[in-house]
This record gives sequence, C-alpha cells and structure tokens, in this order.
Amino acid sequence: MGSTLVEKILARCASRLSVRAGDEIEARPDFMLAYELRGYTDALEREMAVLGRAQVSRPERFAVFIDHRVPAKRPEDEAFHQHTRGWTAQQGITLFERKGIGHQVALEEGYAVPGAFAIHFDGHVSQLGALGTLTMASRALLLQAAVEEKVTLCVPPTTRLVLTGSLRPGVMARDVLHHLLALHGPRFAAGHALEIDGPGVEALSLEALQCICGLGEFTGAIATIVLPTPRLRAMALGLPQRLALEPETSDPDATYAATAEIDLSDVVPMLALPPSPARIATVQALAGTPLDAGYLGSCASGRLEDLRTAATILAGQQLPPGFSLHVVPTSQRIMVQAAADGTLAALAAAGAFISSPSCDFCSGNIATLAPHQNAISTGTLNVPGRMGAVDANIYLASAATLAASALHGKIVDPRGQGSSH
Amino acid sequence: MSSSRLTPITARVAWVFQEENFDVDRIIGVANIKETDAKRLQELAMRDFDPAFSTRVAPGDVLVGGPNFGYGHPHMPPMQAMRLLGISAIVADSFAPAYWNSEISLGFPQVVCPGISRSCRAGDRIRIDFDALTVQLEQAQVLRITPYTERDRQVLACGSFVAYLAQRQRT
Repeated sequence: MGSTLVEKILARCASRLSVRAGDEIEARPDFMLAYELRGYTDALEREMAVLGRAQVSRPERFAVFIDHRVPAKRPEDEAFHQHTRGWTAQQGITLFERKGIGHQVALEEGYAVPGAFAIHFDGHVSQLGALGTLTMASRALLLQAAVEEKVTLCVPPTTRLVLTGSLRPGVMARDVLHHLLALHGPRFAAGHALEIDGPGVEALSLEALQCICGLGEFTGAIATIVLPTPRLRAMALGLPQRLALEPETSDPDATYAATAEIDLSDVVPMLALPPSPARIATVQALAGTPLDAGYLGSCASGRLEDLRTAATILAGQQLPPGFSLHVVPTSQRIMVQAAADGTLAALAAAGAFISSPSCDFCSGNIATLAPHQNAISTGTLNVPGRMGAVDANIYLASAATLAASALHGKIVDPRGQGSSH
Repeated sequence: MSSSRLTPITARVAWVFQEENFDVDRIIGVANIKETDAKRLQELAMRDFDPAFSTRVAPGDVLVGGPNFGYGHPHMPPMQAMRLLGISAIVADSFAPAYWNSEISLGFPQVVCPGISRSCRAGDRIRIDFDALTVQLEQAQVLRITPYTERDRQVLACGSFVAYLAQRQRT
C-alpha cells in the first residue's frame, strides 16, 4: 500500500519507515516559525518558564517574524518589539523584521522546502504548502517543539483535490478557494490534510498556489500541500533553501479519505460575504453593492500578480471621491519589484494609498472601518470586527474583483474590466 | 506514560446550538471579544440567546453543539466565560480543528458525538462515559462518541497541555 506525501514527510520526521493516517507519532519538525504578537510569543516564553526551560531547542531551526504592530503606533508596541529583539538574540533565534508578512518572508527566505515539515501557531502558514512544505498550526505543538524538539500528533487522513483546466480571464486563485467552499462547504477537509494535485496545478502561478494553500484552513484542513511538480521544485531551488531533502511525492496507490475535482475553467469571480469566510456568492449576484473602502494586501494576496492585476484595471483611472483604497504589498521584496516596474506608480496615480508590509491592515489595527461601512478586501478574514467596527461589512475577493469594484465604488464583476488575468 | 482514565460526566444540558459551523464568538458577542473581566464575561455569556442564561446555568452543566462547532476565527473569552459559569464540557456532532486544539490544550473537555445536537434538548440529563465511549441520553438512548487520541486524553487528564508537558518531563 502506498503513502501520501504527508505520510512520507511525517514518517521521515518520526524516523519511521512509514506511518498511516490515524497513527499517533512523535515527529521532529524541520522548522519552528512564529510571528511576534502579544499573547503568543510572550506566552511561549512564560510557558517555557513554567516548564523550567530557559532555552528553546534547536534555535537554528527557529524563526520569528515581526510583522504585527508594524510600524508601532503606541510606545508599548515598540517596547514589545524591543523585548522580542532581545529575546530572539539571547535565544539564537533568527529574527526577520520589516521584511514583510512572515508567511511570505518565510517562503522568500528558504523555509518553504519541498518535503519539509514546519510548525507555526497561525494557520495561514499553510501557504508554504504551495512548494510542497507540510505545515501545521498549533500553539501547543510550537511549545512542545520548543521544549522537546518533537511534537506528538496524529497523522491526518488526506483529502485530495485534483485541479484541471485553467483560469478564465478575470478569475484568480481567490475565486478557486471560494468555488471550493461553495461546492463542498467549510467541512470539506475537516481535520484532514488537503493535498492539491492535477494538471491544473501547472496552469497556476506559485503566487496563486500560495493564495489557495494559505486559506486552506477554511475548508477545515489542518494542512494544505501541493504535490511539487518539476516546475515548483525548480522555483524552490531558486530560493535560498535552508534544507536539502530528497524529492518525494504521493504514491499512485496512496489511500485518500476523499477526492474532489475542480475544473479551473468552471470558476467565476466569487466573494465571501460577511460575517463568515464560508458564506460564498458569485460577484454577479452581489453586483452593485455599495462600497466605502478597499484593502489589497495580506498574506493571502498582495503579491506581484495581485498588484499588477489591480494596476492593469486602475491604470489611467481615478478612484471615486471618498473611496479609500489601501494597497499593502506582502513583502519588502515584492514592494521593490512593484515599484521598479511601475505597478505602484499606476496604483498611486489612481488614488490608492500605498503602505509598507504589515499585518495590521488585515486585522483592523490601522485603516479601520466605521460602523455600517462596507469594505472589499483581499485579507484573510471577514468576521465581524476584523477591520474595525463590528457592524462594518467585509467582502473578501480577488485582487481583480477588488480593483474593478474600487473603481466604481460598488461590487463589480472584473471580467472585461481590463484585467489580463 | 500510562493511559489516564477520564472521569464520567453526568450533567444537565444547559443549551443546544443546533446550527452548523457555529461561531463561538457570538456567545459573548464580537463587540465584547476582548473582554477580560471575569464577572463581566459571565454577565455577557449567552445574552443574545437567553438573557437569563447566567442565572439558570448550574456548575457541571454541559453545552451541546452541531456539526463543525467552533468554525471561524474563535477567540478565547467566550469559552472562558463558559468555564467561569461552571460548564464542564462541550458535546458536539463535530468540531472545527483550530477551536478543538485550543480548548483541549486548556484542558476543557470537548466530546465528539455524531447526532447529539438532534437527540437532546436543553434541560435533558446526559451521561458521558469516556471508557464505554458513549453518551447516554434520556429515554435510554445511547450515542457513540469518537475516542480521543492518546495525547488529547493525556492532556485532559493532566488538566492542560502545559501540565501534560510537565508530566512528560517527570516520566
């Protein structure tokens, strides 16, 4: 009987020849990743102290990203950053600060190694799955890895998603995730690893796969991973890989809990409606809904493909008076590229407000919404209060839908609006 | 580490959330999601569902949920409020994984029991037996519960994930 890629990765990390879904194992993660946030990294320190541990295990495999509360707007936020700088230096943990949103920076900095296993406490780390990295998100597992090197976990069953075809113009990866939720609901892969495969993978950019994988948790998946193709392996090798592993993939006779197929050419522009990422509708069904604000950015979107798509739609145009559009490239590297090729200039000329990478726009710590305002966002979440007032409404959409909608101050289908995607 | 036995729970059902994908933040309301005061949390709990809930709930009561209970972006204060009110366990058809991990790590029993939300009403008495893997309902009806992984069982027996790690260090 064959194994899935997830089973192979976990078997390697558990120093076993093979493991099967349902096995309870102790596995040694390759990387421990965390963003700095009050209640998380300080809790890790406190809990380690309770356990009598002053030093994290394998600090050379640990990375912390300062991407929340950046730039600091309160003295206590900067003081917390100061504390984190000191703590990581004392621990020997690699610190990334002002490089961008951690999940994207992790990929750029070589933590997205095909076949590697990484732990974080934030579920959107699953975007590393775009290059075949297995990730799991759990505060408990990160603490256990910090004190024991190993984590105790149950090998998850794998649900397989086969992609075929290619996206039509005006349709983006975000729409694929929404299409999946509309078809199969928010329990599609509950408690499972979600494995993405099929010829459609080759029709999607790495950035598109990052978007889909990074939002995998909304299907209930505890891990989302693309089977690495030669193209994706080559892309990984183009990044500074922190680990060299033998190429692995799922066996043809691996056992899956379920399999679903999506023809990418069937996907149309879709939105997640407030108040839940699971409430999906087509953009056409919501067309005309008035909007006050827009946010293009986050770990889910805000990469070059997103920025260029929005720039293509907004170039030479002007946002409506009173409409605020915040554009936040996901990383400094992306910002530099988007500045160099004129993308940011086109967006700024249209009236967009460009800011440096930060998680704070996605979570309502800056550019907050007033009660009853409607926003369109490429952020990760639309739960009440996510971007400010609890009775503001957040519609989650692709960069193309966002740009077309921003241009008109209301929800607009991006197809035929100048997008090349 | 030896397997630890979990004590059976005999309790009254304080409330049944029947809807799928229930977002637990609604228990105290998203406007109050950063509340930390214990007394205030107890006052806020379930106010939008049953204003008299905090006066009617009794220590040891359980809550019952539907499929995928805890979906969304759950915060900790709502279930902190429930623990402060004495709720001893949540029994649901199924749970969202992130919510499950968070609450189990705090040592708060969550019990997977397919069919439970359609099989009981508020005020019913139930008995959860972690050895027999059953929930006994009124009228002698019995439903099966999904067994815990050994790790989750140990975490609940120890009282929290931190206590579980401390025990592993000792053994």
